[in-house]
Amino acid sequence: MAAFLECGPFSASDGEGRVLFDDVSLSLADGQFVSVEGPSGGGKSTLLRHVTALAYSPDSVRRLNGENYNGAALPKWRSHVSLVAQDAPMIAGAVYRNLSFPFLQRAGCEKRFDEDRAAALMTQVGLERLPFDREVRTLSGGERHRLALIRGLLWNPKVIVADEPLAGLDPDIAAACLDLLLRFGRQPGRLLLCVLHDPEMSGRADRRLRLADGQLKGVA
Amino acid sequence: MSDFIELGPLQLALATILIVGAGAVSMALRLGVERRLGVAALRTVIQLGLLGLILERIFTLDNPLLVVGLLLLMTMFAAREAVTRASRGYRGILIDAWLTMAATCFVIGGMVTQVVVGVEPWYDPQYVIPLLGMILGNSLTGISLCLDRFMDHLEVRSAEVELRIAFGATRREALAAPLRDAVRTGMIPIVNSMAAAGIVSLPGMMTGQILAGSPPLQAVAYQIVVMFMIAAAVALGAMLVVVLAGRHFMGVDATLRLDRMTSQSNQ
Repeated sequence: MAAFLECGPFSASDGEGRVLFDDVSLSLADGQFVSVEGPSGGGKSTLLRHVTALAYSPDSVRRLNGENYNGAALPKWRSHVSLVAQDAPMIAGAVYRNLSFPFLQRAGCEKRFDEDRAAALMTQVGLERLPFDREVRTLSGGERHRLALIRGLLWNPKVIVADEPLAGLDPDIAAACLDLLLRFGRQPGRLLLCVLHDPEMSGRADRRLRLADGQLKGVA
Repeated sequence: MSDFIELGPLQLALATILIVGAGAVSMALRLGVERRLGVAALRTVIQLGLLGLILERIFTLDNPLLVVGLLLLMTMFAAREAVTRASRGYRGILIDAWLTMAATCFVIGGMVTQVVVGVEPWYDPQYVIPLLGMILGNSLTGISLCLDRFMDHLEVRSAEVELRIAFGATRREALAAPLRDAVRTGMIPIVNSMAAAGIVSLPGMMTGQILAGSPPLQAVAYQIVVMFMIAAAVALGAMLVVVLAGRHFMGVDATLRLDRMTSQSNQ
């Protein structure tokens, strides 16, 4: 079966010149939840930044559904392969702005921001009391994490690449979030690539990868 | 035009008492700025003295090449000064600053001297040099503020910039917010001085013209032209320099390259 998402080779080292990973490539099928595990500081977040083309890697190839993306096509790649970053970055302003800006920042964006779906998703992750006009700087860490996750789901890209999306959440809320992510990733033509710390959560993955000693390997 | 009191060496010596007095205050209060004040005062005397001598010579020689040469030299000094004032830098910042200065001078200066004022001959140093000097002096402040703010925004708010990129923003879309922020910052001084003109402050050029015996309404007319000219120059210069700088930190692939930023702009 031809791979849905193919990218690489990626190489990176940390600030002190220690190699994080070397010549790593990914080839993943669609309709799956793929987890990435490994020791902290081992380069998992950096790898996700390479996959989503936020890190500069001009010599890498990125292919989705057989289509190549590089150079000026990278913004398009990122809109298909979107990162939900670990620190849940926000744009200064209200909740509404933070959920809707991806739809508004691009001229001629075909996708429309669905306010009802946003409200429904917020309810599912326990944010039903959060008003749209609340300033994001007043949110707690957990609220920001969930909001970032919802933003990723609302955007509905082909691939969601999430960096520890469940970190610091209450167990039942984390389970609800994982359910939403799984429902997304297990559709045909979709994929979920997730760095997870909790072995119980990553146990539910369809495919488990482990980044250690600079190599990305499958977990049996 | 000879109805003004000429200043000779005695008058300048008397004015020196003022700066010595300022230094004395600094010493008495242990502000520690007396040395810098002294150096600055000395630079003022030397730089302006040299300029005076050069201008006298250029006015009598009446040669277009000399005027253009002096203007080029002035743009280079202005670019260097703008770059040294910014707290961050990148490879090629000096060239970008110079290109911006030169382009702004050419477009805005050209329009003011040739179209608005209608200088004859086109290079008449009595008009061209002071007018372009004012463009440069003010663009310098605007451009350095603007560059500084732009790089500050990219670094301090990089998470926000990358968030937009992560949802598929192109270079233009990703840099729109930092660009707006930077141009706004660069334009604050001129907008402020335009708002305060005539009420809080008597603009320097107008004051000079009145001292030199021009009718006040003529001085006002010139001052308005100059203010508009400076505002246009700062707006154009700020936008141009940020677009040029933006290309260093982001290519068409819209990847943010903060690794290209240096903390000291000593390029």
